[in-house]
Amino acid sequence: MKVSESLKIIDEGWVRKPKGFRVHFQRLVNSELVTDYVPGEDESPLDSDVVAWRLAWKLFQSTRSDSTETGEDALVNIYVVDDMGNPVRFYGTNQPTVLNKREGVSF
Amino acid sequence: MENEIAKLYEFGQIVTIYGKNVLVGLLILVAGLILTRVLIKNFRRLLQRFTGNRPFISTVSTSLHLILVIIVVAQALHYVGVEPIIIRRIFIAITLAAVGLIVLFRPFIPTLPFKVGNTIKTGDLLGKVEATTFLNTRLRTFEGLTVFVPNSKILNDYVINYHFTPTRRIKVDVGIRYDQDLLKAKQVLESIMIEDPRVKTKPRPVVYVLNLTDGCVKLGGRCWVENLKYWVTKCDLVEKVKLRFDREGIVITFPQRDVHLYHETSVAAFPEAEQPRTISIQPDRHATETV
Repeated sequence: MKVSESLKIIDEGWVRKPKGFRVHFQRLVNSELVTDYVPGEDESPLDSDVVAWRLAWKLFQSTRSDSTETGEDALVNIYVVDDMGNPVRFYGTNQPTVLNKREGVSF
Repeated sequence: MENEIAKLYEFGQIVTIYGKNVLVGLLILVAGLILTRVLIKNFRRLLQRFTGNRPFISTVSTSLHLILVIIVVAQALHYVGVEPIIIRRIFIAITLAAVGLIVLFRPFIPTLPFKVGNTIKTGDLLGKVEATTFLNTRLRTFEGLTVFVPNSKILNDYVINYHFTPTRRIKVDVGIRYDQDLLKAKQVLESIMIEDPRVKTKPRPVVYVLNLTDGCVKLGGRCWVENLKYWVTKCDLVEKVKLRFDREGIVITFPQRDVHLYHETSVAAFPEAEQPRTISIQPDRHATETV
């Protein structure tokens, strides 16, 4: 096996390099939780998970409420996903993290 | 005296014949140049609405300005009475002379090693080139300051142009304590760099053991990113290294010195009862005693 082939195996098998990140969130529209992303799926994703988590946290801080009821303006189940739509663990703790979590969300 | 009177009479006749035309020609020239200036200003604004490419706008506007000025001057000369064929010949001669001079002397003309829009460092100034003139270069620093740097100063100083190469290498140096798992630390540092989407796969990220210093094992992570993403990527990587090393239990070193105190009686031989006392001195000079 050539060195270049071995490097290819390492690249594909060791650490997956995502192509970008989006912030996933849900909001109440006509009494139903609708999923949306920042940036939208038709836009190019963010290239940094640090930036994406920061954006997620700011969205959470801007829309959080102590009420257990989900209002029309509330953004719930906020977390970061990669280009494939897979949830990304928070880089600070390496734990699955969901901000403003509501029922029915699991990693 | 008669001679001078004759000359004045001749001049008076010329003014009588051509004076009106010269005056109108001058008016055409002045009005044309003002109109050209206004037109170019509005044209530049119009282009700015459609494209943000400043070098393109500048090139197109300057070319159009030059063409309009030539037309105005030609019209003024024509009104004065100069034949169109002569005007054409004059412009062709000037153009050829200018092109010839540029081709001939170009290798000897000192040129600035950057274009408008490039990010450069010259002397202790780092910023984006906004405009260049014959005399100075307008730089906008990242603190938002506009600095006019004389071209002579730039030509006599070193210039780093960050646009000559599309990529740049990031150095992430970190020191770990001697009792830490070196191989694990290398692996963690490398995986942090590989995981980042902005880090190039070629050349591959590498981790070196740079040095065994007085206080730490120095690791050096090296990876390549696009020029524009250099700063943010570097900051993100440093943040992730700190957090990830903390999580993995790898202790990042900091300047410290161990002072060992021995009792005089126990210098010759260390009885088991007389263990040396170690004082660890922190950089802020607060000594903590551990026995």
